[in-house]
Amino acid sequence: MRAPAWVPFAFLAPALAGLLIFRATPIGISLIGGLFGTSLTGETVFRGFGNYAALVQDGEFWNSVRVTLLFNLVINPLQVAAAFGLAMLTAKPGRFVGLFRTAYFVPITVSIALTSVLWNILLDPGMGPVQALLRALDIPAQPFFRGQGQALGTIIAIASWRGIGYWMFFMLAGLATIPRESYEAAALDGAGPWQRTRYITLPLMRRTFAFVLIADTAANFLLFAPVYIITNGGPNGATSLLMFAAYKTAFTYLDQGRSLAISTVILVIIALVALVEFRFVRTEDAP
Amino acid sequence: MRRRWIAGARYAAMFVLAVAMLAPLYWLIVSSVRPAGDIFLHAGSFGLRTLVPERFTLENYGIMLHSDFPRAIGNSLFVAVTTVAFALVVNSMAGFAFAVFRFPFQRTLFVLVLASFMMPFESIVMPLYTLMRGLGWTDTYRALILPEVASGLAIFLFRQFFAAVPRDLYEAARIDGATWWQIYWRLVLPLSAPTIATAALMQFVTQWDAFFWPIVAASSPELTMVQVAIARNANLETTNWGGLFASASVSVLVAALPFLALQRTYIRTIMYSGFK
Repeated sequence: MRAPAWVPFAFLAPALAGLLIFRATPIGISLIGGLFGTSLTGETVFRGFGNYAALVQDGEFWNSVRVTLLFNLVINPLQVAAAFGLAMLTAKPGRFVGLFRTAYFVPITVSIALTSVLWNILLDPGMGPVQALLRALDIPAQPFFRGQGQALGTIIAIASWRGIGYWMFFMLAGLATIPRESYEAAALDGAGPWQRTRYITLPLMRRTFAFVLIADTAANFLLFAPVYIITNGGPNGATSLLMFAAYKTAFTYLDQGRSLAISTVILVIIALVALVEFRFVRTEDAP
Repeated sequence: MRRRWIAGARYAAMFVLAVAMLAPLYWLIVSSVRPAGDIFLHAGSFGLRTLVPERFTLENYGIMLHSDFPRAIGNSLFVAVTTVAFALVVNSMAGFAFAVFRFPFQRTLFVLVLASFMMPFESIVMPLYTLMRGLGWTDTYRALILPEVASGLAIFLFRQFFAAVPRDLYEAARIDGATWWQIYWRLVLPLSAPTIATAALMQFVTQWDAFFWPIVAASSPELTMVQVAIARNANLETTNWGGLFASASVSVLVAALPFLALQRTYIRTIMYSGFK
């Protein structure tokens, strides 16, 4: 619509200022700050790519990268698949079905920090009720957060307890857009439930899957609270996600430059993931 | 016969899943109304008494009221409500501009807005902290509120809503002599109630649940937010379990009630904004 050029910019100004100061500027600070370091006497000194060179040679850093990638390669597909499964289970209307859906949704209203506090108590080896339940069922006690092989998986499980019911609702909204006739036609042609899911539901749900995968990845990628509250990166580095490594470097080791260098690595990984996702969405629009 | 068997299996699966999803929260809330000494009394041997309290008390909530938790609730409410108030105006104005006008760099700016919501906030927490220290804003409400005001997703939702308003409405209002501000503030903003509710809920819950940024940016006791207060309480050696479960229950309820009330509007607004 026609208006003097200053009008749209006046409407945009507050939001753009906010995004510029609190989103774009930190990216710049990360890029530049990663090139500096603090000397033993507390002065800021230029290190060039010294921080990055040190990271490349640091086994702990590579461990964090590995744990972060592994975590995301498991949790995101798992949550998308579980949310789809729940949606298929509750899609058909019926008595109490609405109540069941709401029951699955409730955990998202628990913050991730509180989720961590709660499950840390529930799974506690000494006094946790879940351990008591295992005993009652004659299952041997599990280390959960304290087992090197189980800790990351347990974090994935509690984050999924919180998230999948929420994503289920987006899947349900996607399922509701599929025309009934498609199913009826397929049924007439003799397609069974499995074939109908494979050849009708899944293809028609691609946009929904893309949206849920992108939004879910953004929510999970840099999970911090469970590591900070429960495991502290342990046992033996098994849950040392990158975000926690950046935090610890700044606030425990007081190495600002190195922490910003890790932040830059995180931003690069996120930009790469976003590019892949953009491409995924675009090929999707093509017929 | 076979059909009835399938329906039965479906209900059994839905029921078992519902129990698994709700049990942790049930235990949390039941623990908050148990005398503090009873909370872990039956936790070690699983049975009916693990789930059903023998004695009911509200004393944990009394203890909570006399701790520093009410202050944390006040801080979180203040930060969340202020954020939402600023955010609704700022993001709806930007959404209006993107929907109604044609201007230079529009596409580029819009792509940047979209990119900002694919970028998790956590990724910039460390450099944002450096920025706040430079500005001298650490340990202030400003540091907790301002970074969360402008939101890419909220701008996008408002844009989609305003773009769906018929162009004739804008043209007619212009011919009647309305200024652009009047068209935005008086005419179309009041129409966007579902988007307002969705954006407000989203940003309120983000601030109510905030944990990482508050521990980094505002660590002083006077500025402690709800989630930080609960996590600190749980980490102390001499944990006050009764107070912890009471405050955790309050924290869940404050987020759960508006979420459950607005659930339908929320999902619909996000889904039908163009992601469908």
